[in-house]
Amino acid sequence: MKIVKAAIAGTLESSDLVVKVSPAEDGLDITVNSEVYKQFGEQITAVVKETLSAFNITQGEIIVEDKGALDCVIRARMQTAILRGTESKEIAWEKL
Amino acid sequence: MYSDPSLTFETVETHSGTLREEIALFLKSNGLGMDDDIEQFVIARCKRHLVACAGIAGSTLKCIAVDAAWRSTSLGLKVIHEAEAQAIQNGEHQLFLLTTPCNVKAFRGCGFYPLVTLDNRATLMENTPVGIHHYCRKLRKHHQVNASNVGAIVMNANPFTSGHLYLIEQAAKACDWLHIFVVEEDLSTFSFQDRLAMVQEGSRHLPNVTVHPGSRYIISRGTFPGYFLKEKQIVNEVYAAIDLILFRRYIAPALNIRQRFVGTEPFCKVTAQYNFAMHHWLEDETIMADAPIKVNEITRVTDENNLPISASAVRKSLERNDMEAVTRMVPATTLPFLIRWLSRHPFKQSDYNLANVG
Repeated sequence: MKIVKAAIAGTLESSDLVVKVSPAEDGLDITVNSEVYKQFGEQITAVVKETLSAFNITQGEIIVEDKGALDCVIRARMQTAILRGTESKEIAWEKL
Repeated sequence: MYSDPSLTFETVETHSGTLREEIALFLKSNGLGMDDDIEQFVIARCKRHLVACAGIAGSTLKCIAVDAAWRSTSLGLKVIHEAEAQAIQNGEHQLFLLTTPCNVKAFRGCGFYPLVTLDNRATLMENTPVGIHHYCRKLRKHHQVNASNVGAIVMNANPFTSGHLYLIEQAAKACDWLHIFVVEEDLSTFSFQDRLAMVQEGSRHLPNVTVHPGSRYIISRGTFPGYFLKEKQIVNEVYAAIDLILFRRYIAPALNIRQRFVGTEPFCKVTAQYNFAMHHWLEDETIMADAPIKVNEITRVTDENNLPISASAVRKSLERNDMEAVTRMVPATTLPFLIRWLSRHPFKQSDYNLANVG
């Protein structure tokens, strides 16, 4: 699936995160910023990548601004941003 | 997420008079003025009292204030969040934010990253950690030329005149490669698309020239709004400086630009001031560590009557339907665009026969 328009999900309140996705031509470009990057940066990046591959997204610019969210929150915000950015009408819930 | 139920947010257009006054008063009590180019405000009220506001001017957030009693809460974050959501609804995803350096930390927490700081006066931030870097990476990847003497011109070309052509030819002669950036903001008489095409057509005969869209980082409403408010003759030295520092720090190094060329400006106060600021912010080695860029002012060409050729003179002649004067001031490559423009703006022409145009 392809990101066709810029989209955003989430807030910068504590324990939440903001995910911004936008179209890009050459591959995936993921930027993760987190207040707890030192401790959890790798884990956050892993969840982000995992969600992207669940949607089969191979192109796009992804910016994550994390304020210490739990994995399930990260996944939820990622899914929302991707669904908005891909203008998906039908959602394959079983894949999520 | 805890939120105070008595807090309400709304977006207001700035042309509504009494509201505007209320916001201006609120800003004043927080030591801020109200900028003229703000189109909307996102405001927060608590029991009818104004407690926070953030102004939206195109893709820039500014005039942001939170009532002193609310500053230890997350109201600032909320109002920025609401303003960002409103801007996105307006179609603006990439945002700038203008503030003072002492507030940078607070806005960092709202997802904005500093781009350029001007002494203790102003900081321009953007709502992505990678925006300018991705733009420069793209420039470097696709357009960096292996040459030692690389020059640049920034122009609006509204429309592209013989004066622009002369400037480009002189500059192309003086360096190995020349990058021309056409102001991308669509706020001029001629559309960006037309202006870009006019510059491309007009410089096609030169082998060492690349024409670029100016992007949001070169004389855009975000980096230099005063440029688009020329009629008001508001010379905003803060913005001119921000725009130039941005160029020197990020864009010039991406393309190895060592020189910038500019035409002397006899008419427009804003542009003249910008040219003047250019010498300071691009050339001075003592003000910042980034490599200096030499500024070359090239004397404007004049027409037969010894009047300097300028885009504003062409526009005036166009409005008078004086095609004879117009043809004297623009290269042949520009004419088709002007004719097309005239045919789309029929109210301004009387009964001039377009077939007569050279």
